[in-house]
Amino acid sequence: MSALVELREATRVYNGGSARAALDGVTLEIGLGELTAIMGPSGSGKSTLLNLVAGLDRPSSGRVVVDGADLTNMSEAALARFRRQRIGFVFQFFNLLPSLTVRENVLVPAQLAGMPAGKAEARSRELLDRLGIAETAGRFPSRLSGGQQQRVAMARALINSPALVLADEPTGALDSATGVQVMELLTELHREGQAILLVTHDAKLATRHAERVVSLFDGKVFDDSRLSRSGAAAGDLVRVVGQEVQR
Amino acid sequence: MLGLLAEEPLHGYEVKSRFERMLGGTWEVNIGQVYATLQRLERDGLIEASGARGDRNKLAYRATEAGRREFEDWLAYPDQEPQQLREGIYLKLLLASRTGDGSLDALLTGQRRVCLQRLRDLAALEEQAQRDGRDDLVLLFKGASFHVEADLRWVDACLDELARRQTDRRTGGDAP
Amino acid sequence: MKALLTKAFADLKRRRLQTAVVLLIVLLASGTATLALTLIQQTSDPYDRAFEAQRGAHLQVYFDASRVSREQVAATGDLIGASATGGPFPLSGIHLERGTQKLEANTQVQGRDQPGGQVAQLRLVAGRWASGPGEMVLTRSFADLYKVSLGDVVADVAVASKPALRVVGEAVDMGAGSADLSTNTFWVTEAQFPALSTGHPDWWVGYRFPGHPDDATLSRALDRLKAAFPSGAVDGSVNYLLFRTLFGITNSILTNTLLAFSVFALGASVAIVVNMVSGIVLAAYREVGVLKALGCTPVQVVAIFTFQMLMPALVGAIVGAALGTLIAQPLLQQSSHALGLPPDTTLSVLPDLVAVVVGLLLVAVAAALPALRAGRLSPSRALAMGTAPAHTGGSRVRRLLGTRTPRSLALGFGEAFARPVRAGLTVLAVLVGVATVVFALGARQSLDKVQAANTQQGSAQVLVQREQGYPDASVTATLAAEPDTARVVAVALNAVTIVGYSQPVSTQGFRGDATKLGYLVISGRWFQKPGEALAPKALLDDAHLHIGDTVAATAGGRSTPLTIVGESYSVSNFGHSLFVDLPTLQSLAPGQNPIYYYVVLRPGADMSAYIRRVSATAPDFLTVKSTNEQPIGPVQIIDSVTAVLAVVLVVIAAAGLFNTVLLSTRERLRDTAILKALGMTPGQVVAMVIATALALGVIGGILGVPAGVAIFRALITALNVSTGNDVPQQTLEVFTPLQLLAVPVLGLVVAALAAFLPGRWSARTPVVQVLRSE
Repeated sequence: MSALVELREATRVYNGGSARAALDGVTLEIGLGELTAIMGPSGSGKSTLLNLVAGLDRPSSGRVVVDGADLTNMSEAALARFRRQRIGFVFQFFNLLPSLTVRENVLVPAQLAGMPAGKAEARSRELLDRLGIAETAGRFPSRLSGGQQQRVAMARALINSPALVLADEPTGALDSATGVQVMELLTELHREGQAILLVTHDAKLATRHAERVVSLFDGKVFDDSRLSRSGAAAGDLVRVVGQEVQR
Repeated sequence: MLGLLAEEPLHGYEVKSRFERMLGGTWEVNIGQVYATLQRLERDGLIEASGARGDRNKLAYRATEAGRREFEDWLAYPDQEPQQLREGIYLKLLLASRTGDGSLDALLTGQRRVCLQRLRDLAALEEQAQRDGRDDLVLLFKGASFHVEADLRWVDACLDELARRQTDRRTGGDAP
Repeated sequence: MKALLTKAFADLKRRRLQTAVVLLIVLLASGTATLALTLIQQTSDPYDRAFEAQRGAHLQVYFDASRVSREQVAATGDLIGASATGGPFPLSGIHLERGTQKLEANTQVQGRDQPGGQVAQLRLVAGRWASGPGEMVLTRSFADLYKVSLGDVVADVAVASKPALRVVGEAVDMGAGSADLSTNTFWVTEAQFPALSTGHPDWWVGYRFPGHPDDATLSRALDRLKAAFPSGAVDGSVNYLLFRTLFGITNSILTNTLLAFSVFALGASVAIVVNMVSGIVLAAYREVGVLKALGCTPVQVVAIFTFQMLMPALVGAIVGAALGTLIAQPLLQQSSHALGLPPDTTLSVLPDLVAVVVGLLLVAVAAALPALRAGRLSPSRALAMGTAPAHTGGSRVRRLLGTRTPRSLALGFGEAFARPVRAGLTVLAVLVGVATVVFALGARQSLDKVQAANTQQGSAQVLVQREQGYPDASVTATLAAEPDTARVVAVALNAVTIVGYSQPVSTQGFRGDATKLGYLVISGRWFQKPGEALAPKALLDDAHLHIGDTVAATAGGRSTPLTIVGESYSVSNFGHSLFVDLPTLQSLAPGQNPIYYYVVLRPGADMSAYIRRVSATAPDFLTVKSTNEQPIGPVQIIDSVTAVLAVVLVVIAAAGLFNTVLLSTRERLRDTAILKALGMTPGQVVAMVIATALALGVIGGILGVPAGVAIFRALITALNVSTGNDVPQQTLEVFTPLQLLAVPVLGLVVAALAAFLPGRWSARTPVVQVLRSE
């Protein structure tokens, strides 16, 4: 199976199907190492799609296969195990555990997965170094800035070397400068071969970094475009129009 | 042009090249237009010949006192012109909704795709301008992106509205 | 105001689980408190109250009917300054048999036409008074002991005609001790009496004096009576102080036990209620912020929360108090029954009121304090905080546990200490529950040992009583002939006077090895040769004796020196008794042969068959019975009260744990969602929650065991001292290591169970909705 993520006619209805389906017969494939953006307004189904891909929810009908694992009918416990081994999460509001130090936060997925302590420690140190927050290791999240917290979250997401990183509005709670830094880190990871699924409503963010933009609308895939590096010149894109100056 | 000439005296072709460079290729002017405008400005007393003669024996111009004042007034004057909308897409929308067939969907989808690609390209240009140290151009490209974003949002709103009309027709229309 | 009420009610409806938990816990606490207070109130001075209610006789005197007439006796009241006189009633010894079963030797029959009167009223607890020939009334105590019921027919075999009597009523006699310890009276009509009398009747008269006469007053009165009549006219007397002290002991056992338990129960209840209520309010900071943003003043915020807590608390307190009173009734009945008192039917509302009022006050304060703290925050801070800030103290615990512990357990343990006050209160509740169970376990075993020491029922299975007239040698021979006899210890009784103590002391002379009969030797040793004796602490103290001292003992004109070689444990006469060997006793009272024989049977022997065989050898002279037939009432009541209170306290402790864990999981909703997203399986979530409960349970258990043992020791010591004995080590060292270990282990199991439901609920937290919001 060459695709990393495969959804086939995936549907998710709530409230016994009387309401509109949150996700309606979506068929989608995402390949290894791709940086894909899922776009859409609220209510479009992008959070539902994210839940299904992450194994946080099961489809009402259809199939969901991620990294070779068929999530469609997995038990809660099996889904949990799948998540900690194959998925890394980066959330809009960071979602670090406030009562754990930075180091402990990063270690959580590794410890849940039963990684040997020494190996986990080494890996976490490596990641914290890489993300430039090594000196915060002993501090509690409440003492960190937004950007630092998101980087801790990224370290946590990467500690188990997941097949897929799910970034859900990763810059939503950050100011623009910090947001840029975080996106640069993500892009760097992508360049090293990490598959990333970026969920956002921000078109500029999506198109700037992703090579493929999937647009959802009303629970269906509305548009699925690969964007090229067209190298268009400024003049093809922008024309500043003059006006008559009345005197 | 008045602004450029207020900075320092320039020859006609210098004005053109400087203008084009400033706008980073988003506005190309032909030299005839430049000279015509120079003449008019001189006629209105906003610029004057500066005396120096350069290549090809052309005159250099500079802004007069009046011209400088005029320029500064214009700088201070906020833009109050009506919003310009690109005619193509709007006309198509207005006309297509009269015929009421499904081609509107395809049109909007296509437009959307164009918007997305445009955003990506503008982002690349913005990055390049950043690297070249042209902060002013960065702002320009940013501005353009915002406009494209606005178009995108408008396309999405149209899609939304169309969907709503469809469901209304379906539920309100045919009796079981 | 109306808006506040509306909101408070709406909140109650919304948070149904929380309301239910508050209601239940306050109910349990209030019920326990009421139960405890009721029992304490009504068992204090029960004897005095019953005595006054029944107009008991301060002094009972037996006059020999052959030397004084009824009229003479009837006039004696004024002579000694009595305020009221009861009787005179004719009295005679009696031997009763029911079918072939002999019913005790210390029985007497009294002719009395009605149970009421000026003095010594008898309270009928079943049936009716005798109204004609062939009818008799007996004491409830006797009926319990020999399982005699209304309608049974017994025959008086002391009289040749062996008249038959039918039991028509049961009464409580305040003028006698319990059936196993004292003389038992039976009543028939005066007309019926002559037919049952053995020919040496007495007149019984009961006197009441103003106020509470002391021993000196009563002795003087008795002396005056003796002086007023020819010598020998006064055949015997009993004064009420003896019974009062007897009751005092058993009552103090009860009261102390109840007091201990009640303190526990109240302590636990307070801890839980405060914990729970404050926890609920602490979790609602966000709501406080909303309220304040809407314009509520701090006072109004406090009012809302206090009201929210008080509503279910009020219902719970009232229902609980009612339940507590209800449950107290059968326990009170049992208690008065055990004490040999008439049932006390007065329902006192005071304990209920106290419990309800104090309980509500507690709840109000527990709600108001944190609400006040919250109310003073600025709305924005409260909104932002959501809940009261948590201590990060858990991190120290996690560091201690190191990286080897599974993460879910480590997180759970750490969480247990995140809020120190709440953790402390919960540990306290668990501590109380564990201590109570330990205490109950110990008390039961210790009292069993006391019982065994006093009745030998643990060691010897059969007791043979010999009537005068049947030779001792025959009994010994009969018993020796029985193959199932393993060992016989024979006991002779006599009263002996020793120098230094004015009253004659009941002395038991043993033949055979008595050391294995269950008697407890507190210090020193058992006697090994004639002239050696053991005595309990009270006698030793009163006579100023120590182990090693020699004292002169006299009886019937004879004297012999006794050397004290050991301190014994004996409750008879409040620690005034002597143990010697048979030769020593016979040197003081020759011809005094054993009348009790304790028989230890071979293992596997058929006891009932043995009893039948031995009894058949001389049915008229031997009473053979199993030693199990001698229950000590107070032990039973303590067992039942202990059991009830222990169960209630365990439930309260479990409820407290449940509540703490519930609050904790609600506060950690977000964290749990994050952990689940990161891949914590539902099983691991449950484990984490259970770990929180276990951490608190372990500490409570570890602290509770020594606390329970300490209180147990204190109580047993107080008990024994009050009976005039030193504390025998055996009654203190009743716990096997296994038991002491089993209790906290059981506690852990209960903790795990209490945490299971919240754990499962926590495992079902919806993940994404929680994570997408701030």
